Amino acid sequence: MTTVRWRLFADLAEVAGDRETTVTVGDGATVEDALDALLDGRNGLRARVFDDGTLADHVNLLRNGDDASLSESVEEDDELALFPPVSGGASSHHRV
Amino acid sequence: MSLSLDATQLDRYSRHIIMDEVGPDGQARLLDASVLVVGAGGLGSPVIQYLAAAGVGHLGIVDDDVVERSNLQRQVVHGDDDVGTPKVESAAAFVRRLNPDVDVDGYETRLTKENVELVADYDVVVDASDNFPTRYLVNDFCRIHDIPVAHGAIYKFEGQATTLVPDGPCYRCLFPEAPEPGTVPDCATTGVLGVLPGTLGCIQATEAVKLALDAGDPLVGRLLFYDAMDMTFETVPYRQNPDCLVCGDDPIDSVADVEYTDACTVSSD
Repeated sequence: MTTVRWRLFADLAEVAGDRETTVTVGDGATVEDALDALLDGRNGLRARVFDDGTLADHVNLLRNGDDASLSESVEEDDELALFPPVSGGASSHHRV
Repeated sequence: MSLSLDATQLDRYSRHIIMDEVGPDGQARLLDASVLVVGAGGLGSPVIQYLAAAGVGHLGIVDDDVVERSNLQRQVVHGDDDVGTPKVESAAAFVRRLNPDVDVDGYETRLTKENVELVADYDVVVDASDNFPTRYLVNDFCRIHDIPVAHGAIYKFEGQATTLVPDGPCYRCLFPEAPEPGTVPDCATTGVLGVLPGTLGCIQATEAVKLALDAGDPLVGRLLFYDAMDMTFETVPYRQNPDCLVCGDDPIDSVADVEYTDACTVSSD
């Protein structure tokens, strides 16, 4: 078994209820497996980061501080992270 | 550098001039520089203050809002007497009081495709905007026109900063499109620690000064995360995306076809 740590930023942490969590996946598991394990039981986070069944374009995925793909393998003690863009000030207007 | 410093300037900027990394030539460069600050709110306030104090000779400020009392908890360029005044007026008054060396131009408008050409007059842009359409418009226009951008954004107790230069990745390399409206909450909905934009804005001002001086290593290809609660700074690297709309292998050459609604996509027709 492989245990990896997830870190969540900005509103993703709030939706998930946690900034950091560990998940355990099988040997030879991929980033996608670790993401599934993270989202298992966190339907709010799943809805926040998925768009039409895939990870939304605006949500970035890191493995050990570097851009990651879902298909790469994870190793014991990897640090995975998900981060969205954040908005900024108080937009009293969203007109263009 | 054609500008030379007078006695008052030698005194005012003495702490810059004494350093080899700035010196009289560097200070003259700052006095000769034009920087546009997009947004005179929480992030823009410290940016405007420090760039004016540093003697950036030409400051442009774009904002279409008026000062509200609820802004004053973090938008430190404005005062209680400014409530109801356009932010560009209030910010310009601050700059004039602080440093007569600075020519300040206020644009009381929201940046749109129709008026974005005004950005082309500036050497450096600081993106202190509060919304995705403006942020993507600034990114796209500045990339097409080779203007560097010091970007910052905030959320409650967290901030992100990165610097976008012509030969580095752009904001779309990191986040190809804006999230759907309502996906990412804004400050009015969630609140924000008043000092948070101060920290992030100071980082943006630092980057803008470095860009104007052509000194140091800007925050290029790196996204800086600041967490005020944990008091941590982390940077993560990111790369140019070959599929990027504005700096990839097949880039657009104008913002004309981009739809700057909240999703900021290229229109399909």
